[in-house]
Amino acid sequence: MATALDTPINPNLSGPQLTKRIPCWPYADPKGRHIVWYDEFVKTGGYEGLRKALSMKPDAVTEEVKKSALRGRGGAGFPCGLKWTFLPKVTTDPAGKESDPGQRYLAVNADESEPGTFKDRLLMDFDPHLLLEGIAICCYACRIRTAYIFIRGEYHHQAHVLEKAIAEAYAKGIFGKPGLLGGAQTAKGETFAVDCYVHRGAGAYICGEETGLLEALEGKRGWPRIKPPFPAIKGLFGKPTIINNVETLAHLPSIIENGADWFLKQGTISSIAGQMGSHGTKLMGVSGHVNRPGVYELELGIKLSTIIEHPKLCAGMRNGKKFKGAIAGGVSMGILGPDQMDAEMDFDIGRKYNVLGLGTACPTVFDEDTDMVAVARNIARFFKHESCGQCTPCREGSGWLYQLLNRIEEGHARTKDLDLALEIATSMGSMPGTTICGLADGNNWAVRTIMNKYRAEFESRVKPSFVAVKMTVGAAAKG
Amino acid sequence: MAWITKPSGTMKVEKRAEPYLTPAMRQELTQKILPRYEVAKGALLPALHMVQHTYGWVPQQAMLEIAEFLKITPAEVIDTASFYEEYWLKPKGAHVIAVCRSIACEFCGNREITEACKSRLGIDVGETTDDGRFTLVELECLGSCGTAPAVLIDETLHENVSPEQIVKLIDQAKDHGHGH
Repeated sequence: MATALDTPINPNLSGPQLTKRIPCWPYADPKGRHIVWYDEFVKTGGYEGLRKALSMKPDAVTEEVKKSALRGRGGAGFPCGLKWTFLPKVTTDPAGKESDPGQRYLAVNADESEPGTFKDRLLMDFDPHLLLEGIAICCYACRIRTAYIFIRGEYHHQAHVLEKAIAEAYAKGIFGKPGLLGGAQTAKGETFAVDCYVHRGAGAYICGEETGLLEALEGKRGWPRIKPPFPAIKGLFGKPTIINNVETLAHLPSIIENGADWFLKQGTISSIAGQMGSHGTKLMGVSGHVNRPGVYELELGIKLSTIIEHPKLCAGMRNGKKFKGAIAGGVSMGILGPDQMDAEMDFDIGRKYNVLGLGTACPTVFDEDTDMVAVARNIARFFKHESCGQCTPCREGSGWLYQLLNRIEEGHARTKDLDLALEIATSMGSMPGTTICGLADGNNWAVRTIMNKYRAEFESRVKPSFVAVKMTVGAAAKG
Repeated sequence: MAWITKPSGTMKVEKRAEPYLTPAMRQELTQKILPRYEVAKGALLPALHMVQHTYGWVPQQAMLEIAEFLKITPAEVIDTASFYEEYWLKPKGAHVIAVCRSIACEFCGNREITEACKSRLGIDVGETTDDGRFTLVELECLGSCGTAPAVLIDETLHENVSPEQIVKLIDQAKDHGHGH
């Protein structure tokens, strides 16, 4: 019988990429982790990707990223290079002079606040300059002069680390007036200066939604905007804006250094005809009932069962218990049922296993003793708490769902409450078209997939519905 | 989150003679923070953070001062400040114990932690001790799911916490002064 040991981890890689300076299983013991500051970063090959990027034309950098099929690591999996091309075009006159791109912004999404997700934190905790290098490359490719790192308020330590790293980067001439890399000549024969700032959020999950994030940067409540206009056309302060996740940007240095083909060799092509593949590695943060929870850098397409059982990864379920289910990657993605432990962790997961998608690829694993009604209730409470209150279906629906699930958990519900909960779940969200952003979709997918995949468990917790009707039929009715 | 209803018509702002925005804070805002944003309102979250960090909460007078400083209306400041959970619009204890209650923490034993805090402090979740030293709250995900259960004490995160440890941490915090 094939065991987890027989399955190679990262077969197309010679070693870790994103985590080459951060010890992670299966490569090294995380005990040796420390913050990598500028000097160590440069000594270990840091800012070489940026150096190479500057020797290329900005559009060539974008082309390379597009060719690498790098998909956004923040949850939606949108192709990163394609997103960049949505910015207003810069034209070149016959003399080779580019038109003024005007003020543009990069907003780095470091508002990692979805339960189960803790992967960006690892990069910001230990290798902040990797993110800064990615930011510099993105800014150069997109002709952006100002970048904001929007970091969630609860990440106090990470914000300090980033502030210090940015100060170092300014002192060493990466950012600031002289231009990137101490005023290095770019392929266009000039310098390119970028400013980078940390902007701290203040405890609102909705600010992880890209337009909610922009509102928070503008000093407003984090209410998502109606799209279009899309941020690439009209974003922060009304200017063209690119919003990328921390991990997405951290991939850029190695893609530019090693080329798109190198990146395309990793991961997997799509098993669905005509779909974009899932290439590269992904930080997968595993939590819950496993022996060794933590963040692992793995090639996309690895089976969830391998991650859980491999002795060099999670090393099996805690206390030898059986697998009952796993959140696919952040609670909004829905749940993989007991028979879906072999699901491949790639961007096709949504289509193949009836979940919303890969999300952040940070599975939360549950053992056989877990009360799935409580899981659904916990998730519903999260979304009720974090609904920003802008759209009625989400604001009200999330509250109703939470109340219903509470009632089921406490044993006061009837069978018809199950149908009511499913009805509420299916009628709110941007996919039924009733809300502005996808928060309600996350809520409804989570609740719906848990209720459907563990229906018997929910049914066993409710009392049968019966309707008592007093009516007289037959001869007696006539009299 | 969501809306906070307030008696705007009859509400009085408590004032003290000394301004909350000190000259040093104004200077930092003017020199460091404001130049970062195209529009002055962009500095609103940093300004509120500054007040929150210094005083442990955001008094209404401070909001008025921020509004005047950024040349925006007080309504805009309260609109933003009331939306974000991290800004305390009422005074809280000197130390805030925030226990994570999200998915990984709940199923890895956060209830024992909350119970240990409750019995040590003699208060319920959402309350402040009579001596004003501790406020106990439950928060959604602290981003520490792999090392659950997690507790944020003031601005320091503690991971893989056990009930015995949290009691110790509370006792340690007691001996220190202001937390934020």
